[in-house]
Formats: sequence, C-alpha cells, structure tokens
Amino acid sequence: MAEELPGAWFGFGFCGFGQALGSGRARRVLSPEPLRAPGAGLDVYRVSASWSYTAFVSRGGRLELAGAAGGAAGGCRDAWASEALLVLLRAGPGPEPGAELQAWAPGSALRGEPLWVHTVEAEAEGDDGPGGKPQAGPLPLLPCARAYVSPRPPFYRPLAPGLRARRLELGAEHALLLDEAGQVFSWGGGRHGQLGHGTLEAELEPRPLEALQGLPMAEVAAGGWHSVSVSETGDVYIWGWNESGQLALPTRSLAEDGKTVAGEAAGLHEGGPDVKSTAGGEDGAPTPFIAVQPFPALLDLPRGSEAVKASCGSRHTAVVTRTGELYTWGWGKYGQLGHKDTSSWDRPCRVEYFVERQLQVRAVSCGPWNTYAYAVEQEKS
Amino acid sequence: MAEDINRDPLAGAGALWEALLALLPRTKEELKLDLSEKVERSVVMLLQEATELFYGGRRNECLQTSEAVLDYSWEKLNTGPWQDVDKDWRRVYAFGCLLKAACLCEASEDATTVAAALKVCDMGLLMGAAILGDILIKVAAILQTHLLSRKRPAQGPTQEQPSTKKARNEHVSIPDMKSERTVPRLHCPSLQYFRKHFLVPERPVILEGVADHWPCMKKWSLEYIQEVAGCRTVPVEVGSRYTDEEWSQTLMTVNEFISKYIVDEPRDVGYLAQHQLFDQIPELKQDISIPDYCCLGDGEEDEITINAWFGPQGTVSPLHQDPQQNLLVQVIGRKYIRLYSPQESEALYPHDTHLLHNTSQVGVRGTQCDMADSPPPHPVSGDQVGDLCFPQVDVEHPDLEKFPQFAEAPFLSCILSPGEVLFIPVKYWHYVRALDLSFSVSFWWS
Repeated sequence: MAEELPGAWFGFGFCGFGQALGSGRARRVLSPEPLRAPGAGLDVYRVSASWSYTAFVSRGGRLELAGAAGGAAGGCRDAWASEALLVLLRAGPGPEPGAELQAWAPGSALRGEPLWVHTVEAEAEGDDGPGGKPQAGPLPLLPCARAYVSPRPPFYRPLAPGLRARRLELGAEHALLLDEAGQVFSWGGGRHGQLGHGTLEAELEPRPLEALQGLPMAEVAAGGWHSVSVSETGDVYIWGWNESGQLALPTRSLAEDGKTVAGEAAGLHEGGPDVKSTAGGEDGAPTPFIAVQPFPALLDLPRGSEAVKASCGSRHTAVVTRTGELYTWGWGKYGQLGHKDTSSWDRPCRVEYFVERQLQVRAVSCGPWNTYAYAVEQEKS
Repeated sequence: MAEDINRDPLAGAGALWEALLALLPRTKEELKLDLSEKVERSVVMLLQEATELFYGGRRNECLQTSEAVLDYSWEKLNTGPWQDVDKDWRRVYAFGCLLKAACLCEASEDATTVAAALKVCDMGLLMGAAILGDILIKVAAILQTHLLSRKRPAQGPTQEQPSTKKARNEHVSIPDMKSERTVPRLHCPSLQYFRKHFLVPERPVILEGVADHWPCMKKWSLEYIQEVAGCRTVPVEVGSRYTDEEWSQTLMTVNEFISKYIVDEPRDVGYLAQHQLFDQIPELKQDISIPDYCCLGDGEEDEITINAWFGPQGTVSPLHQDPQQNLLVQVIGRKYIRLYSPQESEALYPHDTHLLHNTSQVGVRGTQCDMADSPPPHPVSGDQVGDLCFPQVDVEHPDLEKFPQFAEAPFLSCILSPGEVLFIPVKYWHYVRALDLSFSVSFWWS
C-alpha cells in the first residue's frame, strides 16, 4: 500500500455545546474546520458524536470528551456516545486479554463509578488496521460480535447465535446489521420505511434484506430514520425517510418555495435561502416526491464515483469515495453538510473544502447534527 | 422598576410586546419548566439557557437556542408512535415555540412577523402539550387580535359566499336512496329513552331539535370562520380519500385552506378533518355545546373529544369505525352517510394494513395527529396509517366481483342536514360524503 502522510480530523455542523468544532464561539460551523482541543493533538482513530457531546479515542487508548459532557480517561479501546449513555470499551482490569464494557452517565465526567459494567470475553487477535484480520466493527457492536449495546434498557442485547455480525448501527427506532458474508439485516420500528423490507411494519428480530441478497455489502450506516449500505463494488443503496432529502431523492419540502417561519421572520440563516433541490420536471410534469422509500434504492454518485465509507446523522448522509472525496446531502440547517451554508440538499454534493486543499478524505463519522471527517494530504506525484 | 440607569432588558417597543410580556412569568426564576427525568439533561440545559437569554434581553441568541430546542424535541416527537411520545417532550416543544414566538414579536410588530409568530404558536398547540396554564392559547389570541386589528382598514369586504363563486351543485351526485333503509329520526328524546332504545342496543339514530338552536347554526359562514380563525394554522388532508396513494396531510392557515380548497374551483380535494379546532380557538367553542346525551357515558366531560370537519362538497371518509361513541352534529351543508353494523364486518372485507403513502406526512386517522410542512416539521405519527382496519370496498362503487358479499350486507343511510345530530354507536362502520360545502362537529365519548 502506498505510504500515506498522517492525516487530521475536521468537523462541521452543530456545536451548540462546545463540541470542539471550529473556534468554539459559534453554535454551528458551516464548513470543515480542523478540530480544536481536545480532539486536536490526539492521534484520534475513533470519533463518536452524540447530540450534545463528542467522544474521541486515540490510538494510545486515551479518551477525551468535548461538549456538554467532559472528562478524559485512559485505557480505552472504543467509545460510543449517546445522550443517555456513554459506553466505553476498556482494557480489562487484570492481565488477561479480555476487555470491560462500561456504561457511564454522560454528566458524570467519568468520575465515580460507571452505571454498569460487563466483562467481555477475549476475541481473536487482530487490529482494525489495514494489515490485520478485520475485527467486528466498532461499538455499539461488541468485539465478540455476539451482542450489542443499546442506549435504552436492556442495555446489553445478545444477537441470535446464527448471526455472524461484522457491523451494527442504531437509528432512532431501528437497527442495521452487516454480517460476515456481506448480508444486511434490519429490525426495530419501520414506520418510515427504514427497515427496507418494502413495508412499514416493525420487525422484532433481525430480518435479511431480500432486495440486497446476492450483493455483498461492505458497509452499513444508520441515520435517525434512514439506512445506507455500500457494496463491495462501491455502490450506494439507501432507504427510509426522505423528509429532508437524506435519501438523495426529490423531497417536497425542498421543492416548494422555501418559506419557512424561521427563515423569513428571524433572519437567522446566514447564506442563501433554505432550499436547494433537484430540478423540477423540465416538461412541467409534477416531480414525483418521495417521502418514504421502503426498500433499497440504488444511488448514483456524481462522476460515477465509487463509495467506500458511509455515515449518517439524524437526517443527513455522508459518503467517502475511493478517490478521497466526501459527498453529503440531506438536512443542512446546522451546517452539517459542510457546504458553507445552511441549505438542505436532496442530491449528493461534494464537500469542496477538501478538494480545494488537495486533501483526501479517508473516513467519516456523523453525529446527529454534525459531521467529522478524517483526511490526509494528497500524495504529490 | 424602571428607575434603573440601565435599560430593562425586556423593554420593548410596542403594545403587542407589552401584552405578551404581561402573560409571561416576570422573571426567569418564575418560569418553571417542571420537566421529568425523561427529558435529557442536555436539552433541559439548553432550554434553561434559552430562558436566561430571553430574560436577559438577548433576543437573537434566544431565537437560535430555542430553534435548537425545537429541532431536537421535534426528533423526539417523531420517534416511536405518537401515542407513546412522552408528554414532557411535547412540553419542551411547546416551550420552544413560546420563546420563539415571543422573540419574533419583540423584534417587530408588522403583520408578516406576527403571522409567523402565530404560526409558531399554532405549531406549539398542534404538536406540543399544555405549559404554563395553557399560555400558548392566550398568546395566540393576542397575536390574532393584533393581526385582525391591523388588517381591517386595508381589507375590503370579505370573500363572496361560495354559491356565487362556484356552480358546484350540478356536479354533485345525490344518492338515490329510494331502496335504502333510512336511519330513524327522533325529536328530542329523553336521556332514558335514548339510552334504552339506541345507546345500549347500539343502534344509530338522528336526533332533531337537539342542536338546531346552537349559535353556530346561525353564525357560522365562510365569512365568519375566516374572521374568527382565518389566520390560524390547521392540518389539512389533501387527496380524494386517505386510502389513495396521492393522499397527504399538510399545514396551512384557514384562509389558505378556504381559498385553495373551497372557493376558486379547487384542483384537489382538501379536507380540514378530525381536528380539535375548538381547543385551538376557544372563541369557536362558544358557538357550540356538548349534547346532554354524552353524559350518559362513563367518561368525564373533559375527556370528550370534539373534532371539526370542514371541507368542500365531495370530501369522502371511506368506511371505517371509531373506538368511541360518536355524536355527529351537522352545521353547514349536507352529508350522505352510510352505516353498517359491526356484525356485518365480514361482508366489508376489512384487513389490518399499514398504508404506504408516497407523501411527506401521513397522519393517522383515528388517533391524534398533526402534520408539518415547514420547520419545525410536524411529528406526524409516521407515514403509515396506524393500526386501522380498512374495508377495501368502495361503498358507492363496489367491485362486486372482488367483494361479492358486500351486495347483501344490510345498512342504514341518511342525508344529514344542518341542525341534525347523528348518533353513531361505537365501532359502527360509517362512510361519509359531503354533498355541499360542509362543516360538522363530532363528539367522541365513552
């Protein structure tokens, strides 16, 4: 593999609680900015953002929190931030290779005792670096891949024994699972089509997505009420709620003249009007708006780009391409799309900041209303 | 008081602002949020910050903070079924609306701003829950009065009556009811008689002489409704019937609804249906009463749900059943109504279904619902139509090949006219089509 220069994390979007984005004075950042402390200066490899705070985990095992929840700790291998719980995976107390799962109240600043603790069995050796055997994905999936953590009780949830989970993501009402064979499963609430089975029915148990069978997937990501999966060949499939264009499908709310109460009366929004949408039907025919897409739709990224990573916020989507570009779309009111304004988009838009500086994006991690991207300097040839 | 050298942070420019201030608690300490632990600590912090900013006179920052509170609580209101949404999240939403509306009015008192603030109040009323002694209703009333007092000089006579604007009656199809069994009619039966012969045996009946002297019967017209409620935001169903794919729900002011869907040859069918308008606009509640027969139930009077049903000729409510007793009072126009006993359910081919609508917000008929078109969008309980039972057969144009038993199912029917009250027993299947511009008021009780 070609040598890469070290990279850095950038963030944009909502930071109304002081979550290490930008200068720290504004409530929202509309364009990518390098992370401030504590994120800066750490060799951060995991960013987990909840609404009011963000957790950074460094390769050295250091955890730092920024925002409404503060604090720091060592010996951390992974962290998962939610408003109700901060879940940490820490090296076990003894010399054995096992690990300990700890759930903390975010407001505790990691002082005192965690709310609960669960010992996790040792798993096979391997790093989640490029050379090693890929481990089961990050929290909320546990390293043993036989259970996951939920922000609502019961916190520890075993998975059916037959499932060989590689990655698991949680939305507001649903869960997505990617297994070793590249098959996607979903369960939970389905009222917005986020399960992808073609109906609005809930599913109690993980159910495989028939529409994606036979197409090995490499990534899954769950937003508030939408779902994304990326195939091994770089195709993006997307389904669920499209109320802000987060599926990159035409949405009524963006097509109508953007007369929003906030926009016209308060003059809050810097930049342009609140609406930027796909072109209406050129021939004057009414554009079919999609509010709910209950089974996966194939999404074409501009320039035929292939996707490698995806992450979703509450109502927006971010995708990294093989050539290091970052595309974002969906709800943009807090700058979480990184396009220098607060517009929402119902089609994929490239974040030009990285292109302009010849930075290649390698990873992306979305909080509910913000986006963190890891980028490296492009190799000079 | 205002002896300080420093300007009172809340001192504002106009009379509207003074009136609003008088409604609000005087200091931030007196503004009790009273939120349970269900509401996440971070949001409580943000809301407290918003109230501090408000009482500190920092309007723009308060607006921004309130906006974040609104957006976050909106997400909670949209998580899970509407009936499971914790009431405190709805109260958070209402607080956000209150602060936002107040901040808007501090900045400016022109009609556009006040209308926007009123819309915010209405969103708080539609989706929020009561706070500070129903303060949003009072704020809305003040804003509405202010808007109307500004409008009067500029406006000429209000819109003409619909009959001069559209010649609709030639298109309406009055059903041929000669072969249909009609709902029996009674004039002012005693409570005991009604209970014994209709309530207990669960049989429909039309009650005459019960509501015909209510003030609404004389007062309500398009003009009056526009006066009393014109600038208020309400939920509207768009589409021929809610079993259609193109059906959707949206929000608009009553004036917009009337001009878009009632006068001026509307393109689509719009229906202001199943909306608790009288909670939103107490002034209208003065024009109606609660029929005495409702007290025959087990519930309390404040548990009676009163809904408004206001729409043009041609609105259709497909065959469905409600979980409570219903007294349907007709005020304006006539409705053709068909009733099937629950015993005939099989012949109506009902099935549990979640209807998929290709639209942005679909509410749940049969439960409290709201919809949103503009931020903060409405926390409609999803894009499905809940756990309702839908007979698949179209009552007036049945496909008898698909639904053969339907032809033999016995039913009662009637044309309900202004002043008349129809008793629809609990779970009784009913189908309703408006033959004219229509306004009905329904009372659901147990």
